[in-house]
Amino acid sequence: MKREGLKGYLFIAPWLIGFFVFVLIPFIASIYLAFTDFDIISSPEWVGLDNYKRLFFDDPVFWKSLGVTLKYALIAVPLGTVVGVGLALLLNLDIRGIRFYRTAFYLPSIVPMVASCAVFSWVLNPQIGLMNSILRFIGIEGPAWLSSEPWAFYSLVMISLWSVGGSMIIYLAGLKNIPMSLYEAAVVDGANAWHRTIHITLPMLTPVIFFNVIMGTINAFQYFAQAYIMTQGGPEDSTSFYALYLFKRAWRYLDMGYASAMSWILFILVMSITVLLFKTHKKWVHYENGS
Amino acid sequence: MKTDHKRLLKNLSTTISLVLLFAFLMGWLLKTPDLRKYPDREPVYFWHMWTSGWKNVVDGICDDFNRSQDQYEVIPLSIPAKVGDSKFLLASAGGDPPDCMAQWNQVIPQFADSKLIMPLDELMSPDEYSAFLINTFPVAQKIAFFEGRHYCVPLALDVRACYFRLDHLREEGLIPESAPVRITTQEDYQAMLELLPETIEQMAEWGWRLHRFDDKGRLARLGFLPQWFRMMAPVFGGGFYDWEQEKLTLNTPENLKALTYITEQNKIIGFDRVLRFNSSLTGKHGSDWPFAIGKRSITIDGQWRVAQLERYAPDLHYMTAPIPPHQDGGKKNAGWVHGNFMIVPANAKNPDGAWEFTKFWTGYNDPDRAADHYTEAGWLPPFIPITKTQTYRNYVAAHPQFKTFIDLLNSPNMEPTPPVPFQLLLFDIIKRADDSATRGTITPQRALEMLETDVQYEVNRQKAVSDES
Repeated sequence: MKREGLKGYLFIAPWLIGFFVFVLIPFIASIYLAFTDFDIISSPEWVGLDNYKRLFFDDPVFWKSLGVTLKYALIAVPLGTVVGVGLALLLNLDIRGIRFYRTAFYLPSIVPMVASCAVFSWVLNPQIGLMNSILRFIGIEGPAWLSSEPWAFYSLVMISLWSVGGSMIIYLAGLKNIPMSLYEAAVVDGANAWHRTIHITLPMLTPVIFFNVIMGTINAFQYFAQAYIMTQGGPEDSTSFYALYLFKRAWRYLDMGYASAMSWILFILVMSITVLLFKTHKKWVHYENGS
Repeated sequence: MKTDHKRLLKNLSTTISLVLLFAFLMGWLLKTPDLRKYPDREPVYFWHMWTSGWKNVVDGICDDFNRSQDQYEVIPLSIPAKVGDSKFLLASAGGDPPDCMAQWNQVIPQFADSKLIMPLDELMSPDEYSAFLINTFPVAQKIAFFEGRHYCVPLALDVRACYFRLDHLREEGLIPESAPVRITTQEDYQAMLELLPETIEQMAEWGWRLHRFDDKGRLARLGFLPQWFRMMAPVFGGGFYDWEQEKLTLNTPENLKALTYITEQNKIIGFDRVLRFNSSLTGKHGSDWPFAIGKRSITIDGQWRVAQLERYAPDLHYMTAPIPPHQDGGKKNAGWVHGNFMIVPANAKNPDGAWEFTKFWTGYNDPDRAADHYTEAGWLPPFIPITKTQTYRNYVAAHPQFKTFIDLLNSPNMEPTPPVPFQLLLFDIIKRADDSATRGTITPQRALEMLETDVQYEVNRQKAVSDES
């Protein structure tokens, strides 16, 4: 048995080494670095709570980026949930060609992000983009989607729906897991489709919704790549997401101590929200076995 | 039967695991094939960020260097520009930096302040350093400067000036019929220079006459529009740094005048309209450059366009000239300048080899030979003797428009971004002030006040940190 265990550890050793070197040690080091002035090259200089003071009292871009990220989480996560559940409900119907539709809606979520960003940059081009060409066709002059306020932010929210197929598949699996006996009993009791959806489907789907909301919230707070590629935080910091600003501070201005402090604030924020969601989940998440 | 199946699976998984382990170990243990051409020589690892056609030019310089002597071998590596700085930083922090790197990001003061790069007075001998101070254009020295020392060797300078499409000017009657049709000689160049606007206001008026709109009021061609606060501030007699006092000058009447003018001009034509027009331009380089395809009549751009126009639009008739000054107190031959420069990490393993290669590139010992590289690429040399070589003179004679840029190199009014340790942050804050004012979100006055406050805060913070340490 001991020999088996040793073999197991040997097999996972590459991952364990990678985890220790690239995750755990930097994670612990960042606690210390958050209290220093550090530019990667010189030795860290201890500055106490200075980085946190700067963040909270002297840096308007920090607050702006926090606001942008919170706003994004508040809009994109519920929107993604509603669209994901809605799509899953539609793709759960027993109609002809349903497998094709499922594949079609899932495919965008596996398209590389850089490629989809490049496509959306063209689609949302104000002068020659597809979106404004369609709007122009119906007599509307569309805005400069990615380069004017507040459209740049809402464009990114809209683009987030492009990859909703990933969560949609999980919802679909959740739907398939709901016992048919519940629906049969409801039909016998005279429940129509709407009642069955509200009183059986959605409550039985809440564990999956809960999982996706938590993952979506964490992802929303770490939102980076699309803004980095398409807007670079502009116009006028309206898409300066927290992770993007953190990256700029760390790698553009070499302010690693400051960026470490930012990363800890983000960590505490995400943890708090996750804990809050777990605390409240008993009130709205229904498990089949009643636990 | 069931046991046999289980045994088979076990054997199969063990075999696959062993094969994978073997492949992993082989990949790890086997040496990467050595691509060096001269393995007996000392290696000089050189990083740069050029790609495609420019990379070929740089590779050519490296090959020429390797052929020229028998002590060193330069091994060039092109790294992606977006991650160039972070790769360099991590390599330096990890103790395995390249021996030299060609940079164009505004990092000299920041790297120098962190003692990441070697000052030139340590890299060069005293005689070589004296020669650097005598033979390098002052503006190139400004780029290399931080707190009394120089930290990089400029390889090529990027100077911006105005490009005029002569066909558009003629069509609008802005130049007389007697004006040279094409600029092919220095005489043509001088004659045309006399006909161009003398003030920025006059050029903006020309711009209005050259704009073209479609039937829906959208811009179809941009005549001229003053843009870029960092470029216009010196043109209006301002700027962001007092080189004598070595201090920042941000919220000044001249800078306010410049930002107000840019804002007003954008407001008149409509910021949104310009934004849409710019986004419709599908390319910015080579043959797609909006000026080359007739989408812009007068534009401000760098000297490298002269070589590009020769290559991609050889039949285009155009002229170059310095940005004309503001009519009331503006400076002539002014603007913002930047460049490409060689840095040598403080912990480089072969700084001597790096310096030898840099000397070769910049023509320190042999300006005639270096002039071949500079003329081939259409680069502006920072080293004055190169501009005096016959090769370079021939190049300028064949490209009279290039003279504008060489003249600008001698101007005291060309300004790089101030040499403060937070240069990139300063650059971004200036851009933010420019953007906010131009969009009309805040007034130019407010934008400058915020710029001053933000920068002063950073100055104080850096001072506090250095005092504590």
